[in-house]
Amino acid sequence: MSDNTNESSVARGKAEPSAPPRRLDVDETDTAAVPAAMEYDYTNFYFGAGDDPFALLAPFDEWYRQVKPAGYYLYELPLHTAPGTRVDVEDTKTNEIRRGLVNFASYNYLGLSYRPEVKKAIHEAVDIYGGGSSGSPILSGTTDLHRRFNDEMAAFKGKEAVMVFPTGYSANVGTIAGLMRSGDLIVADQFAHASIVDGMILSKAKSRFFRHNRPDDLDRKLSGFSGKKLVIVEGVYSMDGDVPPLPELLEVCRKHGARLLIDEAHSAFVFGPTGKGLAEAQGVEDEVDIHIGTFSKSLGGQGGYVAGSQQLINYLRGFSRSRFFSCALSPAVVAGLRASLELVQKEPHLRTQLWDNVAHMQKLLAERGVPIGDSTSQVIPIMIRDDARIFMIGEELFREGVFINPVRYPAVGKHKSRFRMSISAAHTKHDLEEGANTIARVLGRYGICQS
Amino acid sequence: MSVVGSYRFHTGVSAFFEMATADARAVLPKHLEPIEVRHERSVLSVNAFLFDDSVVGPYTELMFAVIVPPSVAAWGVHAKAGLYPFLCATSNEEARRIKAERFHFPYHHQNIDAQFIETEDRLRVRIFGCDAPILDLSVTPESWETTTHLLQGFMMNGTERLRTILQITGDYTVHEMERGEMTLFPHPITTDLLRQDVSPYPFREHWFKNGTEVFHKIEAF
Repeated sequence: MSDNTNESSVARGKAEPSAPPRRLDVDETDTAAVPAAMEYDYTNFYFGAGDDPFALLAPFDEWYRQVKPAGYYLYELPLHTAPGTRVDVEDTKTNEIRRGLVNFASYNYLGLSYRPEVKKAIHEAVDIYGGGSSGSPILSGTTDLHRRFNDEMAAFKGKEAVMVFPTGYSANVGTIAGLMRSGDLIVADQFAHASIVDGMILSKAKSRFFRHNRPDDLDRKLSGFSGKKLVIVEGVYSMDGDVPPLPELLEVCRKHGARLLIDEAHSAFVFGPTGKGLAEAQGVEDEVDIHIGTFSKSLGGQGGYVAGSQQLINYLRGFSRSRFFSCALSPAVVAGLRASLELVQKEPHLRTQLWDNVAHMQKLLAERGVPIGDSTSQVIPIMIRDDARIFMIGEELFREGVFINPVRYPAVGKHKSRFRMSISAAHTKHDLEEGANTIARVLGRYGICQS
Repeated sequence: MSVVGSYRFHTGVSAFFEMATADARAVLPKHLEPIEVRHERSVLSVNAFLFDDSVVGPYTELMFAVIVPPSVAAWGVHAKAGLYPFLCATSNEEARRIKAERFHFPYHHQNIDAQFIETEDRLRVRIFGCDAPILDLSVTPESWETTTHLLQGFMMNGTERLRTILQITGDYTVHEMERGEMTLFPHPITTDLLRQDVSPYPFREHWFKNGTEVFHKIEAF
């Protein structure tokens, strides 16, 4: 065996280590030590032994009752106000209402969900159409509002046709599973959203994942496969706030004869000169084959869409099971979306304001030494990296006036815990400064930044 | 649960790599399911330990395992993860004989040799068999802590299904920064792995120091 290494210390199986290591003894006579509940997470309760489908419920319940007060309670906190820049949030641990928190948790990137024009349109639609659509879009659920909104969205995107889904999730699932089949190949970015992955599973196509934003790895993953190929990326990756290099990825797709689908859930209506999305911003709007997006984020409503050629939409209309086996969007929601879309087009300064706010907040956080990752969007991750303490930090932020979502394993990798900050055009400079000061103060106590 | 085997280690590494779920299923017995890190991608765990105190003295061990879910509901003790070792190798024949008898791990019949090369920011493990390289694996540290891990180990003895709790205590660091890497070389031990779609970089890197690996009583189930 050759050994030409120059490293500092080499240990072999038959050699004694150079210095006696410190020993950590365990009790070898009795039961194994049981780790604390916080050392577990959802992944530990995915499978279980036994034939009873309920076998995991009691252990999971026991675990959840232990961990909820320690931080898991920070999820599903009820808001008592609109998702504005200041929100009143119920503290389910103390049953208090915490008022006037600076809101960095909502996706309301353009502040449209509570605009008077939007609420007025919703009120008027409720008067005419009532609460729900009461039917599948292919049966009785389509109203004239739905038809008009389809046309308006197609015109906005500059595409031949658009099809609306009840959620962004169902748009991905329905489009991917509607188009791809067993024997085909789908290659998605490794950070693809769960709705993309679920669409891949439902399609029964062969699935591969390429390393995040790496065209060279996409090239490898597409190589050696003959048949139908679909590549899927996102416009903005919601955990890191970064964006893909679309021209380079498109070049790889074309080399292999693959189609490219982009999910612009977080980038539609905010990126690009006219707000079409990241593909427009990177000059490849017409080169991308399938455009998917949501209405629940920048438009402040609900639903999803797929945009593309008329032939694509005609085909998907018959094969997107998540759409035609769901109830159509409520006409009231559609009316609100129409008003929001109109505002997006009439008020381009909202996008300017958003990007000014993003730049300002990045500057504020950087000046305070807050680690913010490599975001290039309105989604700014505040990197904590301490899986054990992120809930404690989140609790302090919540109690001191900031509403922001903690994200930890398994939603992100181990030691990649973070807070996901969403910036809105509606935030005032005062909101941003107050938020940045609070975040820096709390993180400073944990040595994560110098406040 | 009584202890049936205790091994002190100087250094240990456990690196998780994505592998095709079809390949993982191929090595698992029918009653075990691989955990998927993402759709159609399961987890290959490559483990190398330098034991410096055992009944046979110091030796090194290489273990390839598929990560499977622990049996949460059936057991009172909650393990953090489960693993099914499908190929092991050691530098010591007696160690191999004892562990094969006690734990029914499937061992390669020839000795291996291993180097654990530690620098401040990296641990490199080089495994050789008959002077030929088998693998070259490196992992990196994040923050160190002292911890105890409980894992469930699953084995087969013919058609008999077995499981044990494996308790690892020691200094420990783990992360998913994707800074490590692994090269597999052509060798009888790696023949199947080289045919399979195994990622060359670990998505999770575990590094242990100065600890103890304890096997608890083996149960048939």
